[in-house]
Amino acid sequence: MDYLVAVLLPQLLHGLVFGAALGLLALGLTVIFGLLGVMNFAHGELYMLGAYAGIVVVGVTHSFWVALIVAPLLVGVIGAVTEVATLRPLYRREPLYGLILTFGLALAFREAVRQIFGGDMRRILPPIPGSTPLLGMTYPNYRLFLLAISSVLLLAIWLFFTKTRAGIVVRAAVQDAEMLDGLGVDVPRVFTLTFAGAAALAAVAGLLLAPIFTVYPQMGVEMILLAFIVVILGGMGSITGSVVAAFIIGIAQSLLTLWMNPQRVAIAIFGIMIVVLVVRPRGLFGREGVLE
Amino acid sequence: MRAKTLVPVVLALAVIALGAAPASAQKVVKIGDLGSKVGVFEGYGKYQTMAIQMAVEELNAKGGVLGHKIEIISEDDETKPAPAVRKAEKLILQDDVKLLIGAVSSGSTLAVMDVTKKHKVIHWNSVSCAEFMRTTKFHKYYFSNQPDSRMQATGLAKYIVDKMGKKVYIFYTDYAMGQSDGRQFKTALEKLGGDVVGVAGAPLDTKDFSPWFGAINQANPDVLFVAFAGTDSLRLMTQLHSFGMTRKYKLAGIDCFLLQQDLPAIAEPMEGFVQLAHFSPYNQDKNMQAFNARFKKRFGTDANIMAGAYDAVLFWAAAAEKVGSFDADRIAEAQEGMCLDNTHIGRQCIRKEDHQVVMDMHLYQVKGGKNLPIATIAGKDSIGEPMVGKDPVEGFTWEIKKKN
Repeated sequence: MDYLVAVLLPQLLHGLVFGAALGLLALGLTVIFGLLGVMNFAHGELYMLGAYAGIVVVGVTHSFWVALIVAPLLVGVIGAVTEVATLRPLYRREPLYGLILTFGLALAFREAVRQIFGGDMRRILPPIPGSTPLLGMTYPNYRLFLLAISSVLLLAIWLFFTKTRAGIVVRAAVQDAEMLDGLGVDVPRVFTLTFAGAAALAAVAGLLLAPIFTVYPQMGVEMILLAFIVVILGGMGSITGSVVAAFIIGIAQSLLTLWMNPQRVAIAIFGIMIVVLVVRPRGLFGREGVLE
Repeated sequence: MRAKTLVPVVLALAVIALGAAPASAQKVVKIGDLGSKVGVFEGYGKYQTMAIQMAVEELNAKGGVLGHKIEIISEDDETKPAPAVRKAEKLILQDDVKLLIGAVSSGSTLAVMDVTKKHKVIHWNSVSCAEFMRTTKFHKYYFSNQPDSRMQATGLAKYIVDKMGKKVYIFYTDYAMGQSDGRQFKTALEKLGGDVVGVAGAPLDTKDFSPWFGAINQANPDVLFVAFAGTDSLRLMTQLHSFGMTRKYKLAGIDCFLLQQDLPAIAEPMEGFVQLAHFSPYNQDKNMQAFNARFKKRFGTDANIMAGAYDAVLFWAAAAEKVGSFDADRIAEAQEGMCLDNTHIGRQCIRKEDHQVVMDMHLYQVKGGKNLPIATIAGKDSIGEPMVGKDPVEGFTWEIKKKN
């Protein structure tokens, strides 16, 4: 009983907090894949740009909350420009082109940030200080806030795709872009705005996690691998799948750390992904050509 | 007409060239500065370079070594063994350095030791502390003025058992340095009757330490011993504090846990932290104060434990002068047993058997972001017997002894 309360429950909470933030990152990745058919290798760098944009905005305004609005907008604009200037000309080509392009973009973004900000680790102070007694331990208020805001955002995005006209248009574009074009919808604009939205979401995740993980140019590389696992596990292009898989990965990583060396945890997580792919090759929730 | 104009120009150039010749004729001897210039141990690499620079400037002002002006070649090893080996080879084969100082990370240093052994180059280290360096990996050309894990553990464990508490949890960075510190500390603590209630390792450059906190809380120690360094330490302390664990447990750590410069930014989480180190700008020792004043005048900031790299240059230069040559074999022999009075902490002597500098260490406690001295541990009491060629971890187990 002691073990359950003192160790397992806090660990479960760590997993939920991390899983929720990971979900934000993975969601953008899965939407881009579903819509554009591109595995966006630069998504981790958009996450990283969110944190750096946050540092700049906090530096100017001294407010984390202003940064939480402005930084994703800035990264959203970068995303939109990137989509129009680089990805759009490649849509009619094989997916491999998009993959190579985004890989190059990732390198370019990372090195540009290193040139501008240097390679040092930077910190953003948590905007909510203090901690709350919880489950027999003291839990930082900021992490509880992170869990709450990430969950709210995940719910809002799910509502957007299922209940709003704009969301339904995006899903329709995934299923049949040509038909949608024929119905008079400006499909390229839908693509651009969706890419920008996914970039902004990655930026939100980057900034929200910055007070915990700190900020450095490589930060996206480490997260993108996990985000890819989440997307594959959840089913490529499945929104519900990504959210569920993000929590599974977050909690699995957190709980497994209790019993094994972290390097082995990474192997175990890949193991989970392999088993799921063998049993369900489309992932937990994936259906071809459907964003749901 | 054109030829007439050219003659004086050529003559003038010749005069300038001849005039400049004596100044550039001073021979040059190169030394290598290998360390982390970016990443988790960046701060240590930066201060290592500064310490070497200060020694070189002082020596060059007095005419250099054996009439040679000393030139520093700095290389970044990215805190990884493979680039460290590559850069060490480059420094030795391409730049022909006669002294190599570094690396910062123990993993890198262990790898570089093979290179300096192969090429017979004097190798000094002033920060890496894994116990293999003066035991199984020891070689003729390797010298250290950094207290290794065994020295640190002996000093710190006694203070912890006597003054802080007997139940200790060991949390370490899971690579050469942290494993070595954890092992030696566990051995020393258990020998003194302390009770290790838990051990855990987190990989180098861990971003979120919270998954380990549950196990620490469950073990409920009196003292949390932490063997981390650089940005890992910064993150760990910030996260421990946000989980209320810096108030719940007494904390103690190794000498490279954080540099004095890092402390003001995390003064609150670090309040009361007991750290072992051989140097602090807040130590009133007259040698440390005199060195720190010179360092501060030169660089505008306080010195820290990386000042050991300053001594490394002095020992090498003194040995070269003594034997009248840059021959590595002769310098290595001259350095054995050598004592110098003008190091950053005053008199230091190199033990002949394992090339370890016998140095006093101090225990410091952080108060208001400053490392203030609370006790001194004599170098001769902590250095232990020479163990060249012997396995320092023979018979060791991470297993926790269960108490009834």
